[in-house]
Amino acid sequence: MKKVFSIILCALMLLTCLAACAKEQGQQTQSSPDSTTVPADNDATAPADNQADQEQDAEPVTIKVFSNLTDRTSGQGLIEQTLFDNYMTEHPNVTIQVEALDDESYKTKFKAYASGSSMPDLVNIWCSPSFLDEVIAANVLAPLNAADYADYGFADGSLAGVTYDGQLYGLPRNTDVLGFYYNKDMFAQYNLEVPTTWAELLTVCQTLKDNDVSAIAMDGQDGWPLTHFTNCMAGTILGADTYDVMLNSVKNGDYSDPAWNTVITAASENAALLFQPGFETTDYGTAMNLFINGQAAMFFMGSWEMSMSTDFPVGHFTMPDVEGDDQGVIGAYNGGGYAVSADSKVKEEAIALLNYMFLPENWSKLSWENGVCMSAQDFSAYLTGNESDLQKEIIANLNNASGITGMTYNDLGSSEYKTVCETSTIEVLSGMITVERYFEALAGVR
Amino acid sequence: MQRQRKKRSLKQVLGFIPMILLAVIQLFPLIWLVDFSLCKSNQLFTSGILVWPESLQWGNYAKAITGSNFLHYLGNSILINALAVILVVLISVMAAFACTRMHWRFKGLVSMLLMMGLMIPIHATLLPNYMIFDRVGVLDTIFALLIPYVAFSLPQGFFLTSSYMDSVPKELEEAAIMDGCGIYRTLVVIVLPMMKSSLTTVAIMTYLNNWNEFLMAMTFLSSPDWKTLPFAILEFTGQYSSDYAVQFAVMTLSALPAIIIYILLNKHITKGVAMGAVKG
Repeated sequence: MKKVFSIILCALMLLTCLAACAKEQGQQTQSSPDSTTVPADNDATAPADNQADQEQDAEPVTIKVFSNLTDRTSGQGLIEQTLFDNYMTEHPNVTIQVEALDDESYKTKFKAYASGSSMPDLVNIWCSPSFLDEVIAANVLAPLNAADYADYGFADGSLAGVTYDGQLYGLPRNTDVLGFYYNKDMFAQYNLEVPTTWAELLTVCQTLKDNDVSAIAMDGQDGWPLTHFTNCMAGTILGADTYDVMLNSVKNGDYSDPAWNTVITAASENAALLFQPGFETTDYGTAMNLFINGQAAMFFMGSWEMSMSTDFPVGHFTMPDVEGDDQGVIGAYNGGGYAVSADSKVKEEAIALLNYMFLPENWSKLSWENGVCMSAQDFSAYLTGNESDLQKEIIANLNNASGITGMTYNDLGSSEYKTVCETSTIEVLSGMITVERYFEALAGVR
Repeated sequence: MQRQRKKRSLKQVLGFIPMILLAVIQLFPLIWLVDFSLCKSNQLFTSGILVWPESLQWGNYAKAITGSNFLHYLGNSILINALAVILVVLISVMAAFACTRMHWRFKGLVSMLLMMGLMIPIHATLLPNYMIFDRVGVLDTIFALLIPYVAFSLPQGFFLTSSYMDSVPKELEEAAIMDGCGIYRTLVVIVLPMMKSSLTTVAIMTYLNNWNEFLMAMTFLSSPDWKTLPFAILEFTGQYSSDYAVQFAVMTLSALPAIIIYILLNKHITKGVAMGAVKG
């Protein structure tokens, strides 16, 4: 009997060992984690032949990338993957391995990586204090030389969110303009004009509601789009001071500025009119699909959705003026970005890859030409005149603005503040708590 | 007589109605999943509960299988789950035998420690386990999943097997030993056949617990080498846009093995849990 038992155990051990061996084989054959084939950019690969020949015999280098762009076949994920593929073509000794997770999973695993010793070499970051403060304090990111990026055309102030004590730690990816995408056919059908004031917006919403159409498709489940919405409202009241007032409130727990009360009261009193029924349990994809399928006339979101495909013409407008003294400031900020791990064994190579990605003719050009988003760099050289009407409208809205709000208030405090702020915003706009209770909750954390 | 039979059958029919209703409610998520997996993505956002597909989109399934590493992840899931089930059953039986049949000093303490595992939530162990696996060097290997899967399923397995083993008459083992049977032979030839339904329950519960597990897989794995089926769904989820119909197809395919196994072994699960609970 002992013999039978031993045989079973041996078989089990053998199976486990074979499994382990299979892993090694898998690693050897892997060049890129995603099986998706992404078209290479010919312009970028053409002049690289000589360099490629030189590097043919160089030491093989593997750069691990941790990305929050899970869709590698469209949008920003495709641009990122294209740049990686182009880089590998130009540098045959370099292999880039991408691990991509969605935002929430990404943040959980980022914490795990930060507590261990295997942080990937190039990582995605959010250029906001709620994400970066703790990361910078834990010395997870490698400092970058700001002078290297003098000719990269980064917009004024776009590097401020990734600069701590004068030291640059990362590069922002995009300038994200917040606003309303609207269904032009539906607006024409109900004789609606683009609203320029808060009262007009409410009238538009009321007309749509009377015709059994949801007005604004809102991702209320995630919390952050609601805070972006209220932040944009505040921007129309506070104008150029928006960022300073918000930052002061968050850092000192002081929400006494009258703009706060005006904004949160107006939003919570009218949420049922503005957004689709059950907005507080609607996720991002569902909200967007409500708009795409013609079940909502508007969709409040960032400019990163400018490439969404619809069966109807889409227009864009920014937050209408809440108090009637139009300041011309629109909601916009630099959201995601990249940084290099401080403990990376291939730090120089990872920084070289980062620099390559942000050469103006790479991320900036590709993202604009493909109608994906607007980079944080000056991309005016890549305006072709063949842009879609939606792209032109977004650009016009940005150009006509007297300023931008900067980072939204949910991202100006600690990660705990972000959680409390976003949860409380869902609660106050869905009528679960009062406006007073909302400010108490926000003042309780920094 | 005939009227009585008619009455009884009417009574039976009436009795079936709530059961059928209950079954429909229970099965609705599965029906919904299959229904949506056969639609186009833009058909899904309607006000109706179910959607009647314009034409059956079998292409969603083809895309689900070919568009991601579905087959690779399926293979990993099967291998990791099979190993976890074998290890949990093996260790549970041996531990239960040692703690219910053998007399040794610390058996009470060991039983208690094993049972305490039932109270530890996965989230609380995530970061400490990550750091330990990092130091030991098993991150991103099969062991990074196998170890926690076995560890988290073991307390439940031990609980079910030990309470069931208590109900097996000791006299049978005594008779076997008197006839010259060794300890392993007694366990395998005498005890195990009587514990068939209990062991099936342990195996199925271990399998169901781990089949859809994502949190640990996501934290402990980085490269695609050992990623399991839930990652296939992730691969069809864009950061801000989603191909829902194909995701439904992937979810249907992921759920299928679990459903088939449950249907085949359903009788054993209920029997094993009920007997373990009553006689424990």
